[in-house]
Amino acid sequence: MIYSTRSKLILSFLSVSILVSGVALIVGGQLLYKAVLNEATTRVRLDLNAAREIYLSRIKGVKVALNVTTLGPVFRASLEKHDAQKLVGLLRNVAQQTELDFAGIVTKEGKTLCHIGPHSIPKEPTLPNPIANLALQQRTAVSGTVILNNEFLFAEDPELANRARIKFVPTMRAVPRPQTEELSGMALAAAVPVFEAGNFLGVLYGGVLLNRSQEIVDRVRDTVFQQETYNGRSIGTATIFLNDLRISTNVISPDGNRAIGTLASEEVKEHVLVEGKKWIDRAFVVNDWYITAYEPIEDIFGQRVGMLYVGVLEAKYADVRRKALSIFIIVTVAGMALAIGLGTLIASRTSRPVQQLIEASIQVSEGNLSPEIGPISKSNIGVLQKTFKEMLTSLQERDKQSEIKLLQSEKQASIGKLAGGVAHEINNPLTGIFTFTHMLLRQKDLPAEVRSDLETIAQETERVRKIVKGLLDFSRQTELDREPTDVNRLVRYTLSLVENQALIKGINLNFETGEGLPMITLDRNQMQSVLLNVIMNALDATEPGGNITITTGMGVSANKPDQKGVEIVCNDTGCGIPSENLDKLFDPFFTTKEIGQGTGLGLSVSYGIVDRHEGAIWVQSKVGRGSTFTIWLPVEEERAKHENISGG
Amino acid sequence: MKILVVDDDAIVIKSCRRILEAEGFEVSSVPSADKALEELKSYDFDLLLIDVKMPKHDGMYLMREIKKNWPEIPIIIMSGYPTPETIAEVLRLGATLFIPKPFKPDELVKSVRQALKNVPPKKSFPTGAG
Repeated sequence: MIYSTRSKLILSFLSVSILVSGVALIVGGQLLYKAVLNEATTRVRLDLNAAREIYLSRIKGVKVALNVTTLGPVFRASLEKHDAQKLVGLLRNVAQQTELDFAGIVTKEGKTLCHIGPHSIPKEPTLPNPIANLALQQRTAVSGTVILNNEFLFAEDPELANRARIKFVPTMRAVPRPQTEELSGMALAAAVPVFEAGNFLGVLYGGVLLNRSQEIVDRVRDTVFQQETYNGRSIGTATIFLNDLRISTNVISPDGNRAIGTLASEEVKEHVLVEGKKWIDRAFVVNDWYITAYEPIEDIFGQRVGMLYVGVLEAKYADVRRKALSIFIIVTVAGMALAIGLGTLIASRTSRPVQQLIEASIQVSEGNLSPEIGPISKSNIGVLQKTFKEMLTSLQERDKQSEIKLLQSEKQASIGKLAGGVAHEINNPLTGIFTFTHMLLRQKDLPAEVRSDLETIAQETERVRKIVKGLLDFSRQTELDREPTDVNRLVRYTLSLVENQALIKGINLNFETGEGLPMITLDRNQMQSVLLNVIMNALDATEPGGNITITTGMGVSANKPDQKGVEIVCNDTGCGIPSENLDKLFDPFFTTKEIGQGTGLGLSVSYGIVDRHEGAIWVQSKVGRGSTFTIWLPVEEERAKHENISGG
Repeated sequence: MKILVVDDDAIVIKSCRRILEAEGFEVSSVPSADKALEELKSYDFDLLLIDVKMPKHDGMYLMREIKKNWPEIPIIIMSGYPTPETIAEVLRLGATLFIPKPFKPDELVKSVRQALKNVPPKKSFPTGAG
């Protein structure tokens, strides 16, 4: 029972802690992850803006460089004179300084005058130049992204055509391509028309090829992500797509190289290239998950030709989440351990007094009424302990009382047994004495002296019989057999029994009858033996010529002053009782008589009988003057009235 | 008239014998209940005088045994310890009379005659003998 209480406590603690930490784990983890994700997407959105700025600033840089070039007087003069040789020198100088991959001049007829690559002054008719032609048509400077085909690139510089060629690498989650490689190049280019005094001289064009270029993407990585790394990998990546093909990137493929030739995932391609929207979400990039931002790149003709991408490794944020989750789990486990510990502690604290109470109750059931129940607990178990203790105390008291009662009844029983045994043993020889004394007395011719002696024997045997009877009565303390009795009649009858004795002793026996006494319900035989006892004692105490006066009348007991009662007073002019003996007078076996003269049984038996009648017996005495015994018996009002009428 | 006295105390038997023989009764005596039953098998008695308290089997036992086989014989039970309970039990078991010990010769004789008076006279004995 105790163990189950303990386990219940622990279990409830555990379940609460599991519930709380479980909810905290899920909700907290989710909230945290969302916050982290939110932070990350906000970051890549900003990063994408930064990347775009870098991309656009590079275009602007090309445009500015070309613009500045067209303003140079040497350049203008050379262009006016179509001095190709000189122009090539100038252009190569500019291209080197501003890191242009290609640059050249197209005449107002649309023919390439020169460019910086090999065969710088082409003889044969040249291929159409998309950006220069746009500037030619619009007679204004243009700049932006432009797609250049393989032939054009080859004509500009075979090296460029070679750089632009990119083999497709099969990529997870991407749309497979029927072709095996991409030949076109994507370039950031500008074209600036040159005028001289209102005359249109031609167009200066130039640009950088983005294929396999590291310049822009690495600048994005270095400025935006500041070379932040995670597990040895750069956390931030940037990519320029030609359509969905990575042509310039710092995303690293598993072989350790830049993932040029790999493709964007299908959903990104669909979202950004086809629908022309921004993509800001987690996405699968080459071989890992990133928090990414994509936006379409439009060329100078407004066509969506590619995408600009930045992304941060999701692993970093997942790691933050994982760390948070593991902290949550550690807290949970710690909480559970605490719950178990606390539960055990509280359970044992709670159950210790209960256990002690159980042990105590077992001891009580085995008869030990003062078991150890330990210190009183301050909790509500303390109330139980106190109640248990009180219960024990009252049990002990009850035990003690019943023990006393038992002792008393045992005492009485043993007295009874003794008296019974003595009576039985004495009564048999008494039968013999009676028999032979009386048989002798039957003889007619006995001498007078012998007869007198025999009569004495008979009388004394009679007395022994009475003593034994008294002893039996005392031991048995027989219950009262009450009936309404006229006290005066009872006294008169009793006196008749002792008349002869008084006569023989020469004592005057007087009876002063009280008038109008109520009937009293009493045990006539027992009350008669009381009276007999008192009168016999008086006879014994009084010398010949003395007086014994019995008086009846209404009286009051000192113990019950409000109770009406009848008293029987026996006054003698005998020797009296010394005051030191007065108190002991009613003790059993107290006697002042010589051995053989009395047993002392009478008065204690008498006391018991009167007491059981709710009455009282007391004595007043003066040595040499005589004694007065008073027997007081209560009158029961209702009964007294009734009997007064009927009994007269 | 033949009376059997059953008592383990010799003085009681002696006393009873003295009193009853003086009155002309024929008296036999035995000291125990078992002996009394043997005696009853051999002889007929007109009255039994039995003590309550005896070693081994007491007077109550003896009375029960007698009532089984000789229900008509009058029985006087005597006791030196006459409690109301004993008296009630004795009378319940069918004793004719109860007499407390010690008794005077007159008391015993009176009881015996009273007990015999209540019994219808036996055919084998002349009437009016008690």
